Amino acid sequence: MNNLFATIYEALFGLYEAKFSLIFDTLFDYGGYNLLGFTFLVIPLMMFAGFYFLWKYPYGKFWHWLLWLIITFIITSGISLGISNNEIFLSENQQLIDALADPESGYEQYAYTLPLKYAFFNGLLSLIIGFLYSLILKQFSKIQIHLPF
Amino acid sequence: MAKKLYIFGIGGTGSRVIKSLVMLLASGCKLKNDFDTVVPIIIDPDTSNGDLNRTKDILKLYQEIRNQVHQPEDFFSQEIKTVNELANKSTIVNSDYFQFNLNDVDQNTFSQYIGFNSLDTDYKNSNDDKNFTRLLYSEKNLNSNLNVGFKGNPNMGAIVLNQFTDSGDFKRFGQTFNDGDAIFIINSIFGGTGAAGFPLLLKNLRGNSDIPNSPKIKDAIIGGITYLPYFALNKKDEVNSDSFEDKAKIAIDYYNRTIIKQNKINYLYFIGNKGNTKHFEYAVGGKEQKNNAHFLELAGALAICDFCENINKTNNETQIKEFGIENNTDSIIFSDLNLNNQKQISKHLTKYKLFSEYLKIGLPKSLNVSRWTKSNIILVKKTENSFLDQKYFNSSEYKIQIFAFNNHFLSWLLEMEDNKPSFSPFNSISWNDALNLIKGEQLQKRCKSFKTIDIENCKLITSIDLRPTQDTIHTPLIKLFGKSTENVLNHFNLLKQENNG
Repeated sequence: MNNLFATIYEALFGLYEAKFSLIFDTLFDYGGYNLLGFTFLVIPLMMFAGFYFLWKYPYGKFWHWLLWLIITFIITSGISLGISNNEIFLSENQQLIDALADPESGYEQYAYTLPLKYAFFNGLLSLIIGFLYSLILKQFSKIQIHLPF
Repeated sequence: MAKKLYIFGIGGTGSRVIKSLVMLLASGCKLKNDFDTVVPIIIDPDTSNGDLNRTKDILKLYQEIRNQVHQPEDFFSQEIKTVNELANKSTIVNSDYFQFNLNDVDQNTFSQYIGFNSLDTDYKNSNDDKNFTRLLYSEKNLNSNLNVGFKGNPNMGAIVLNQFTDSGDFKRFGQTFNDGDAIFIINSIFGGTGAAGFPLLLKNLRGNSDIPNSPKIKDAIIGGITYLPYFALNKKDEVNSDSFEDKAKIAIDYYNRTIIKQNKINYLYFIGNKGNTKHFEYAVGGKEQKNNAHFLELAGALAICDFCENINKTNNETQIKEFGIENNTDSIIFSDLNLNNQKQISKHLTKYKLFSEYLKIGLPKSLNVSRWTKSNIILVKKTENSFLDQKYFNSSEYKIQIFAFNNHFLSWLLEMEDNKPSFSPFNSISWNDALNLIKGEQLQKRCKSFKTIDIENCKLITSIDLRPTQDTIHTPLIKLFGKSTENVLNHFNLLKQENNG
């Protein structure tokens, strides 16, 4: 999974920057990518499981589903922001700690831009995954089977 | 063995009791002891009578709805057929077939009917005597038009109704009568048509050998309900409600001598309400005679249920039964009825009330929004789509049949509530407190709105076989709500279960 997640963030979204490879190596080696990946997979799953199986509101309309998706985006982005911040700035990788502490390296300045990017892309992924989950989960829902359509 | 119950409703009271019975049957009440078919027969010369026509309309709607439901098990489960359908094995629904035709009553006065003008005045040299006839019938009687009934004069009714056993309708009734079938007669003792028709009908059923299957009919179990005065009129004219009680006493005496003491009937129910009555709008007949539904008519329908339930307990003597309630009150609710009656009707009426109120108040919010009303859900199995979509609720079948019948049902409840004594077991409800509908039952739970019905409908819409065919388009609606209203009311502990004994 780690490889898959790394490919998604680094190749698909083009976040990899060879000049600051320490950050990406750390995220890969210390499980950061796994955490971020599970975030965009698990949070939409929980959110939409709640939407389809726990929310007993029989008058749900498309905009309710859309709102749920937006909330999922916000929650996923927020948690991803926290995770990526933690994984980068509170890393146990001494080399990265040193690089971040060295103002000459430019690491710190660059590192500050990354959590927002991870948050945004994870949010984006949660929209796609949330939509796909919807198509699957709605099959088993008694009340919201008609959503999103 | 499947059996039929033939119910003769004589006069306006007969029509109104049949109406109450139909409402009970629509709500899911069933006759016990394998009576699978009810055959209502209305005998009333007053063909334009408002009560009669309303009952015929309701009976027709019941049949039309039931014919569109595949094997109904809850609402509309009891079959209702006309004698014509049974005799001709036809499925044509026609409200006129619920009424037996009386010949020559359409445009004639009573004097024309009996040929009064051709009677001789010379009694010594003739077989007939005009003056003697004048002793029995007043000028008003003689000039009275028969197409509005007998205006409370049983002496006229006894002559005119004596012919109905010669009619084709009555012969068809005889042809369809089988072993095990039973007969129930509804009449009022204080009017004209019912008071005269009951003994005549009974006499013919027990002794007229010209009726097809007469040996079977003669030995059949027959029950009847006789209404003692239970309402008064707001005007004293041709029909004077002050005379109701005296007429009732005379008729009871006659019934006692000719029916009860001679054991001509197996069960005879008496019902009435002295004093505590409401004054109805005066009408001698015709379309103006459209009396509001009364609790005693519902009690009459319960007598029919009781008759079927106890049909195996008959002996050779006439058994007399009276109807009573537990608490003497002006406003009767379910808990004022005796326990047996409560269990018989409260569950069914509550379910149907909830169903009909839902369609009136609850449906607009969920239509084409809630999944149980949507037929255009994509990327799911075809069976997940509902048949109860906007197209169904806009269909003429829904509007002309279900919607119209439910309006009759709700009016029936309102009329009983407005009468005296009032039968008002239900609160008036709104969308938000829909489940707070039974008086005397205070709900503690938070969600009492129609939302609970919608949730239940969503759960059930695919779990039970609700697929309609082209000929049974009401199957989904009737079966869905039969189940969902029961589940919801059970969840809130609002249902008293019916006796199965």
